[in-house]
Amino acid sequence: MLAYPVAIGTVAGIYALLTLGLNLQYGFTGLLNFGHVAFFAIGAYVSALFALAGYPAALGLAVGTVVAFCLAYPLGLLCLRLRADYLAIVTLSFSEIVRLVIVSEDWATQGTRGLAGIPRPFSGLGSGTAEVAYLLLVLGMVAVAALLTWRLAHSPFGRLIQAVRDEEDAVRSLGKDPAQVKVKVLMLGSGLAGLAGGLYAHYVTFISPEQFLPIITFYVWIAMIMGGSGTILGPLLGSGLLLLFLEGSRFLRDVAPFVSEVQMASVRLAVVGLALVLFMLYRPQGLVAARNRA
Amino acid sequence: MLALAPYLNLAISGAVQGLVIALAALAISLCFAIARFPNAAIGDMMTFGAYVGVGGQALAAGSIVGGGIAAVLATTLVSVLTYLLVFRRLASKPLVASLIASLGIAFLMRSMLTFILGFDQQTLRVPVSRAMNFSGVRILPIDLWLGGLALLVLAATFLLLFATPLGRRMRAVAADMQLAQASGIRSGRVMIALWAVVGALSAAGGIMVGIKTVVTPDLGWDLLLPAFAAAVLGGLGSPVGAVVAGIGLGIVQELASPWVGFTYKIALGFVALIVVLLVRPEGLFGRPELVR
Amino acid sequence: MALLRVSRREWAALVGAAMIAAAAPAWAQDVYRVGALNPVTGAGSTYGSGMQKSIYAAVAEVNAAGGAGGRRFEALAEDTQTSPEPAVLAAKKLIEVNKASAILGTWSSSVSLAIQPLTQGSNTILMHTSSAPTLFSQNVRNLGWGFQSGSKYNGRAMNAAVKNEGFKRPAIMAFNNDAAVGNVNAFKSAYEAEGGKIVASVVYEPKRTSYRSELEKVVAANPDVIALSGYLPDTTIILREAYELGVNAKFIIPGWAAGPQLLQALGPEVSEGVLVYESVPDANSAAFKRYSEAYQKALGSSGEDNVFAAQAYDMVISLALAMEKAGPGSDNLAIAKEIRTVSSPDGQKVTSFAEGKKLLQAGQKINYEGASGPLDFDEDGNAVAIFAVSAITKGKYVRSYVLN
Repeated sequence: MLAYPVAIGTVAGIYALLTLGLNLQYGFTGLLNFGHVAFFAIGAYVSALFALAGYPAALGLAVGTVVAFCLAYPLGLLCLRLRADYLAIVTLSFSEIVRLVIVSEDWATQGTRGLAGIPRPFSGLGSGTAEVAYLLLVLGMVAVAALLTWRLAHSPFGRLIQAVRDEEDAVRSLGKDPAQVKVKVLMLGSGLAGLAGGLYAHYVTFISPEQFLPIITFYVWIAMIMGGSGTILGPLLGSGLLLLFLEGSRFLRDVAPFVSEVQMASVRLAVVGLALVLFMLYRPQGLVAARNRA
Repeated sequence: MLALAPYLNLAISGAVQGLVIALAALAISLCFAIARFPNAAIGDMMTFGAYVGVGGQALAAGSIVGGGIAAVLATTLVSVLTYLLVFRRLASKPLVASLIASLGIAFLMRSMLTFILGFDQQTLRVPVSRAMNFSGVRILPIDLWLGGLALLVLAATFLLLFATPLGRRMRAVAADMQLAQASGIRSGRVMIALWAVVGALSAAGGIMVGIKTVVTPDLGWDLLLPAFAAAVLGGLGSPVGAVVAGIGLGIVQELASPWVGFTYKIALGFVALIVVLLVRPEGLFGRPELVR
Repeated sequence: MALLRVSRREWAALVGAAMIAAAAPAWAQDVYRVGALNPVTGAGSTYGSGMQKSIYAAVAEVNAAGGAGGRRFEALAEDTQTSPEPAVLAAKKLIEVNKASAILGTWSSSVSLAIQPLTQGSNTILMHTSSAPTLFSQNVRNLGWGFQSGSKYNGRAMNAAVKNEGFKRPAIMAFNNDAAVGNVNAFKSAYEAEGGKIVASVVYEPKRTSYRSELEKVVAANPDVIALSGYLPDTTIILREAYELGVNAKFIIPGWAAGPQLLQALGPEVSEGVLVYESVPDANSAAFKRYSEAYQKALGSSGEDNVFAAQAYDMVISLALAMEKAGPGSDNLAIAKEIRTVSSPDGQKVTSFAEGKKLLQAGQKINYEGASGPLDFDEDGNAVAIFAVSAITKGKYVRSYVLN
């Protein structure tokens, strides 16, 4: 009975890591990154390939995170040479390029066949316990990421990035380069996405390119905006809310049996859609409002 | 001539693929230039238009023109409604609020379609005909029809923007909303006109895609990214730019396919977009004053 | 109408069961719950609803015959969205919350691959229609069963059809995913093992507005037949473009990309002469007729259009017969062991659960010949199907011959 909530918690935790990463980029710095899923994919594939080659999961997770972190650097440089409002389309395109590379380079990634049999950590503990242990690992990572975000937000660098978001010209006049700040933030957030990807790969144990479509990026945006961007608690709540919307419909059907399974799929999408519109109209700041935002 | 024919065929194929998304790109472009946010609902408005087209064609005794008119009318209405009910109220909020709301509207529209009609594919019927063959270079009559339709719609949009008082006001709002308001332009009316145009263009785009492919609930959503790419590449707010960029991206992709293959050709389109934006940040046909 | 009433009652029973399940574990002993985990939305949506309804129909049939091994069946439905992540969560819910002992009818390989570790970890039986080789190599304790013939068999069937039709210059076009590419690769190795040569081969990405360049590349090699391995939307577009461009080569496509919607979309002129290979039931068999009737009632269309639904129907019947064979109170491992034996060729032929149950109770060996085929499983737990070839003639599918 416990394993289902544990599963939901694990997936929500993975989304929370993704959302915290995006929140650094958009919530604190104002970067319109719509290619978040690229780094999720990179983390997942690197981590999975390491694990399948026989290395311990911890190493794969670490390398996946670092690779995602580093690959955000060239993208960051590229984006800074573009107008800010093109960042969205360029990052979105980048995420599709990454996916197409994964599809094509099947000598490394197995292409559309995907990577199967990725080992799950703690499996030695037996089925029920292993899942709880994994949930604790994911939640631990979320806690660390949230704590780091909090520390960062209250550091001089944190005040700098928020200034970049709110008054870029003022930052420039103080002799700081907003571009450098943005690249760093893009890398940090992408590192978190990479970590989330690694955790996801080890959790689902099977990854293929079709799991890394742009819709994941949109889901993360939805979670962040519903929760409240530019806060710490917001992304966590938002991820929970997203999973509630996506999974809750399964239980809705148990009490509304007259709705067919096909229609239920439509209802699920409608609920998410309606929630987004209503949130934007009546609570655009999200569940948790940032205190010091203009 | 013989050796050239395969490449000309590739170029034609690319041009047609660009053509069918050109009107959607145009809708996105105008919306971005005047309402100032990337409207993710345009894909699903195309889908909606295509489905209304299927229904309209059935009601109009198989006439594709009847289906098309029904699609344009219905989608225009829906588009204006989305403005009045949602986007108007978000105009003063950050761009992201409108963007997320447009995602919500996209999901809502698609879910209503699938709730009522299910997920089965539908067809917009047009007579199928063989290609005309010019010593190995093949041109499909249907592509000429679609090209003609796109040109017609493009010309109409162009006239509206550059030869009518309404168009002048739209361009003024695009250039500077506050200045336009200060000089007595009632932006509300301009915006309703804009959203009507966006709806009509989306419907026409959906019909074009539906004729060329099949009508499924994901029809428009799947084309959103290429259409956005064409809109940005062409220069936001430039009607000619959206169409030319869409066709250009299509041709580049297909011409490159013998070398990069059929998977990387898609990636190549995006690479081309990024490279052009690096060299020419305002897009191919964008004029700095039209875009902010 | 009768079926509709039954399925409504089933729904009511299901809701009741979901509520009671947690409170009354003692009651749960004489119920065996199966999770119908099907691709209701996403790429597999053409088949998912039919699969789900067929599972419900088969469950009603088993219960009408007094249940299996002293237990009543109960079905619970979930949607995989044809995507691994929601499918994993749905499987967890079915196994943990609804206490399902078997998961039936996962469709795409990616979904089945993601779920198999879960089902094996909890000794849950998994019956799927996927073809990825890893699914079978990682199958342990007889818990996984593939009701759709894998790539190997599809490739052989294509090869046999191409040979039969006398084609000499086959080319390949495949949708870029595991199953479609796997099928044409199997065809290629079967064809080339016999000394032939594939003249051109293209893998295309889905969701394009045109496949003209892909098509023209294949046609440039002047093939006499194009083995097109894709799904309904892309197959529709490619066949229409091939007609428009005046391609002379014939096409051979799999059954799951055909169906009435293809004919409706293309019309008789464009679709004329397209060959369709598919694993087929013996349309005269009693099991198929029973399934087909139930399908017609539930969905209002012919059961022949959805081979996966026939397989889903057989999943329930096979499982029920295995439970009957294993006897009251047996656990899943004991039941799983019997799935092969209740349809092994040396038993007495049966075509329904009621018939099989009677013979099993009389202590006889049985051989269930299902709605989807004879259900003879190979050593990996993959059903070996009988394939047939149809040709589209004047806007209709006309069965040409059965392959062996």
